[in-house]
Amino acid sequence: MDPALVKLALGGLTVLGVIGLFFGIGLALAAHKFAVEINPKIEEVKETLAGAQ
Amino acid sequence: MRMDRRHHILVCTFFIWVLLLTGCATEHRFVKKVAFKDKNKVVMTFAGPVDETWAKDVANYSVYEKQDPDILLKITDIALSPDKRTVTLTFEDALNQDQAHILTVTEMMSAGRSQGTAILTVKKLYFGYLFSILIGAMIINNFVFTKYLGLCVFFGTSQKKTTAVGMGITFTIVIVFASMMSWFLYQFVLKPYHLDFLQVVVFIGLVSLSVQAVDTILRKVNPALFKAFGVYLVLVIANCIIIAVPLILADNEYNAWESLMLSLGAGTGFLIALFLMSSVREKLELANVPPTFRGLPIAFVVAGLFALAFLGFSGMSIF
Repeated sequence: MDPALVKLALGGLTVLGVIGLFFGIGLALAAHKFAVEINPKIEEVKETLAGAQ
Repeated sequence: MRMDRRHHILVCTFFIWVLLLTGCATEHRFVKKVAFKDKNKVVMTFAGPVDETWAKDVANYSVYEKQDPDILLKITDIALSPDKRTVTLTFEDALNQDQAHILTVTEMMSAGRSQGTAILTVKKLYFGYLFSILIGAMIINNFVFTKYLGLCVFFGTSQKKTTAVGMGITFTIVIVFASMMSWFLYQFVLKPYHLDFLQVVVFIGLVSLSVQAVDTILRKVNPALFKAFGVYLVLVIANCIIIAVPLILADNEYNAWESLMLSLGAGTGFLIALFLMSSVREKLELANVPPTFRGLPIAFVVAGLFALAFLGFSGMSIF
């Protein structure tokens, strides 16, 4: 293997990994900040219904 | 509220000034202005009178297109104005004024003294160029009607005017956000590290990131609109326009302003297309359409007619 290619591949992996990690954390924070409370009873009622419709 | 609006106007005027100033700057203190004139002329304005023997010598000027430095353009005539401040160069062939030209002027002589050598860039007014990118993406090369991209979301959300306008605005925000990020990452991360081949992967990631962000925020801020979009908000990820724009930006090596204009034009072009289509489809609900064509088929026919109408803009050029 050409060491230049290995270097390129490793560099690509690192760059993509860093980008992914950075934006992943950003999205997680956003989801935390804009969280919408869902009433758990809605799911419970839906499950007990027949659900034919 | 009023204070808020004034603040916005201030910010806008500031940016317009910056734009105008960057568009008008020349690179040498002795040269006030260089510009194209007619089809095959370049006019230079100097800060002081220049010597006639220097000005009339063809060897003092060399002009080439920025992309082809080894092809020098042939000058056939040099005219000096009576006040000796303006030199007009006439070229043998018509100049391609969409391209920036590099004009090198050696040893400018003014009243027997040399003012040094100037390397000047001749191009059309930058503001006009940006505007032409915007209008081009918005109307002349409308992505929906001339390139047939993004049809899934286009037909899915154009049944009602309110939904269509909401989708158009959301789409514009998403596309500007995603393409600016893609532009930045391409120019400053992918290109320096020779990772251009990963552009599609990175761009798709960025698009889904911005769609996910809009999804999260809209769910909280405007639940009614969120419900109206339904599945189509997530489908924006798979929209062709939103991936086409970053690829065009990367291909054409656009700078930040040009990228902003192209993505804004693509977004507003989509908004216009959605608005036009939804206006017609609201009327179609009441029309007597043959049963076979009811719904989506007639919508496709209408879209085809719109595309024909938009063909009328083709080949137009602004500035």
